[in-house]
Amino acid sequence: MEVFKADIAIVGAGGGGLRAAIAIAEADPRLKIALISKVLPMRSHTVAAEGGAAAVTRPEDSLDHHFNDTVGGGDWLCEQDVVEYFVSQAHEEMVQMEHWGCPWSRKEDGHANTRAFGGMKIERTWFAADKTGFHMLHTLFQTSIKYPSIKRFDEYFCCDLMVEDGRCQGVLAIEIATGEFTLIEAKAVIIATGGAGRVFRENTNGGIVTGDGMALAYRHGVPLRDMEFVQYHPTCMPRTGLLFTEACRGEGGLLLNKDGYRYLQDYGLGPPEDKPRNKFMELGPRDRLSQAFWHEHQKGRTIEGPFGSVVNLDLRHLGEAYLRERLPQIYELAEEFMGIDPAHTPIPVVPGVHYTMGGILADGKTASPLPGLYSVGECSSVGIHGANRLGSNSLTELIVFGKVAGIEAVKFAKSVSISNPDAIKKQAEAAQARALGLVNKSDGTERMAVLRTEMAQSMEDGCGIYRLGKTMQATCDKIDELKQRYKNLRLEDKSKVFNTEWLLGIELGYLLDVAQSMVYSAINRKESRGSHQRLDGFEERDDAKYLKHSLAFYAGDGAPRIEYGDVKITKSQPGTRAYGAAGVKADEERKKKGAANG
Amino acid sequence: MADAEKIIEIQVLRYRPEQDKEPVLQSYKVPFTDDMSVLQGLQYIKDYLDGTVSFRWSCRMAICGSCGMMVDGKPKLSCKTFLREYYPQGLRVEALAHMPIERDLVVGVEDFVAKLESIKPYIIPKEPRTLAQGEYLQTPQQRDMYEQFSSCINCMLCYAACPQYGLNPDFTGPGILALMHRYNADSRDGGQAERLNSLGHKDEGYWGCTAVAYCSEVCPKGVDPANAINQNKMASAINYFTRFVTPGGADK
Amino acid sequence: MSARRPYVRSMDGWWKRDAYFIRYMAREVTAIFVALYAIVLLFGVVRLAQGEAAFNGWLQYLTTPWMKAFHLIVLAVFCYHTWSWFSIMPKTMPIMFVGGKRVQPGLITSTGIAAAVVASLAVLFIVKGMHP
Repeated sequence: MEVFKADIAIVGAGGGGLRAAIAIAEADPRLKIALISKVLPMRSHTVAAEGGAAAVTRPEDSLDHHFNDTVGGGDWLCEQDVVEYFVSQAHEEMVQMEHWGCPWSRKEDGHANTRAFGGMKIERTWFAADKTGFHMLHTLFQTSIKYPSIKRFDEYFCCDLMVEDGRCQGVLAIEIATGEFTLIEAKAVIIATGGAGRVFRENTNGGIVTGDGMALAYRHGVPLRDMEFVQYHPTCMPRTGLLFTEACRGEGGLLLNKDGYRYLQDYGLGPPEDKPRNKFMELGPRDRLSQAFWHEHQKGRTIEGPFGSVVNLDLRHLGEAYLRERLPQIYELAEEFMGIDPAHTPIPVVPGVHYTMGGILADGKTASPLPGLYSVGECSSVGIHGANRLGSNSLTELIVFGKVAGIEAVKFAKSVSISNPDAIKKQAEAAQARALGLVNKSDGTERMAVLRTEMAQSMEDGCGIYRLGKTMQATCDKIDELKQRYKNLRLEDKSKVFNTEWLLGIELGYLLDVAQSMVYSAINRKESRGSHQRLDGFEERDDAKYLKHSLAFYAGDGAPRIEYGDVKITKSQPGTRAYGAAGVKADEERKKKGAANG
Repeated sequence: MADAEKIIEIQVLRYRPEQDKEPVLQSYKVPFTDDMSVLQGLQYIKDYLDGTVSFRWSCRMAICGSCGMMVDGKPKLSCKTFLREYYPQGLRVEALAHMPIERDLVVGVEDFVAKLESIKPYIIPKEPRTLAQGEYLQTPQQRDMYEQFSSCINCMLCYAACPQYGLNPDFTGPGILALMHRYNADSRDGGQAERLNSLGHKDEGYWGCTAVAYCSEVCPKGVDPANAINQNKMASAINYFTRFVTPGGADK
Repeated sequence: MSARRPYVRSMDGWWKRDAYFIRYMAREVTAIFVALYAIVLLFGVVRLAQGEAAFNGWLQYLTTPWMKAFHLIVLAVFCYHTWSWFSIMPKTMPIMFVGGKRVQPGLITSTGIAAAVVASLAVLFIVKGMHP
């Protein structure tokens, strides 16, 4: 087995991983960085993000506004000190990206432009046409090439963490092109492997978003926090689940039911106005919009057709020229995948799973409870999204906390050394045997596609937009059963060179573990908050009992152990999440109260 | 699986280096609906017919650049190519042309990545600016001069289209030269001379291109690499003569 | 020892693989005909320098059946050469803006072809005017 000695290893080369690598290289060019990714960096799913990255920019905006929008959007389940740090660093990181060449869309005067986004009080979302994630990822990847201390392991699949002496001291990775194993020793490891949306049937995610890093940390005793909070993006393409960015609504797109009615006004997001208004109607938060769809569907007011039950995203009034300039990728998606010209026909859309709010427990400095292990991005729960993420906060998260993770990893790596290379080598050999056991098994009976489809359907049923105790229980039972059946997985491909079936098999194991943490966390949260909404007697938010984070601890074959952790509240006491006219009223009352308290 | 009355035959060029002496076509019958892409057809094959077919894919929406392959001899993104267009005659899927086949539909990408790294694909600032000074100013028109070339998703369809790359692997190739032009044309960048003198003016650079322009034809993102390269040839030719006169031989 | 064994496919007959490549090769081959015609014209210039009898001899030669056939072929080839030249010309131009709008490649091609047609007609009229 090859052994590579790095100072810091980063698993995942998306926006978060690349930003961390650059931060380390700039902090100390002598440190050897191993940047490990199971795909070429520019394939990372950051590339698919469309709408933008939020940062306080306009003179009428303030850090307090961004803070309040985020904490309220998260239904008060956010770590408020971390949110305060986050909003304060955002603008500088946007400028840093710009200096590195990111082609932000501009105003006529040459300054970066900002646009409206759901749940944000003031326009603060920086954007690069409607391909912000694409441009950010390519900018970060191309910039990372400047630093010779970053050694990339492209198309290396991480199959285990090395934990020795109570510290994370490296990873074991499979070189996909050869099927050979490489042990990468590192004094600090940063996980930046993205979310786990592929546990669900309809999702916006790419095939690689399989919760790898989450599962690896989880299996080594690190709790996964707030896993029950899964974001349904309100405007996805039916059947494929591909994303129609929130920017469509930021630019003025309307959501209409089968009567051509802007139904969101019936759900506390009104009254409707001619122009888009922040935090009103189509610019409300994603969980509310997805929930509205569900209710419309129950009432029989969604449109039934060749695409299933949908609502219409109407962009016609914006005109072809404007659409081609501001939303070119959306235009192309509608035309090529659906045969629809959005300038003349509304686009049928449905909610689809988009983002995993929960993840590896990370403190405000991205450190996990396992010394030497850090996490950044969608795979981590650093505490800024709470129970529901606001659009355009996650791209900003990657670069703000990517930098933090890099700097913290540098500090830690300089303070320790690899403690027991022989013991680590033995661990690596055991992990190798486990991974090979999967492909060498000759008497398997279960087909991977069958297990995957059953998992995805069950998760959609039990952990949908609205949840019921009994369907969640059915999903818990199903996932438990699938984990057992997984032990009998049959893989046809026994080769070494680019054996993608083997890797899909390992990923399925990750997905099942993460799915289990999600559904058990969900069934145990007996309240409704943010994107976790119940219809079985727990319809209300219960701050007395559940103003707490759920923590899922791996228990091998058995059900995960669910514990609860405190939420850090600093400036913003839990209030009602109000949008539309109700939101304006709530803001005024809060201002009056603030003025009265002097 | 959705109700599918139609079956289409997909021939896949297989290559398993551990057992195949050379690539061989294998045929699969795949049930499909009108909205299914070639990628979804391949996924059906892998899920239900033959788990040993290997191919790259991820985003399914033509932005990650993973799924490039030859469909009936033409370079395409399989996620954006639809089975209905090849019905009822069927289709043939092979790995991208002009690149070595590692396995089935997976090509070797090391050459492409090495070339990407070789062109200094990052801003070399024309003038310094601190973060506290905020962003460089760039008008929408200045941005238009390079934005199209920054839209390359690195899918390598243009490399599969470019016969010069196929004949001469030293040629940097359309996509990477377009990326080089993206930086040269960015108003914030001052590294033009470096890039041109080390590569642009050479045979592996602009002059390896003979304006076949098939690259621009197949590009799924409208990058137009042929334009990125050939708009520079006049300036490059002038530079060839003036470099003896001007110190440093720089040109823009 | 890695199990990788990359397979490199042959480039033999590459230009026959795709109609686009065949058209490209045809475009490149037209350059040969341009060269051939230039040689014919060069002969004419040399004959002109050698005096009226020599020049008339050259003109006479141009009316032979083989030369007439050659001229017809060259005319057809030059039409394709002109069209393919202006088709590729936009690729050699930088991005241009006129009145805030981007100049489209089709405009460059059609302008070029129009100019070629006008120039050809002008020459035709001038020459015709010399032979009332």
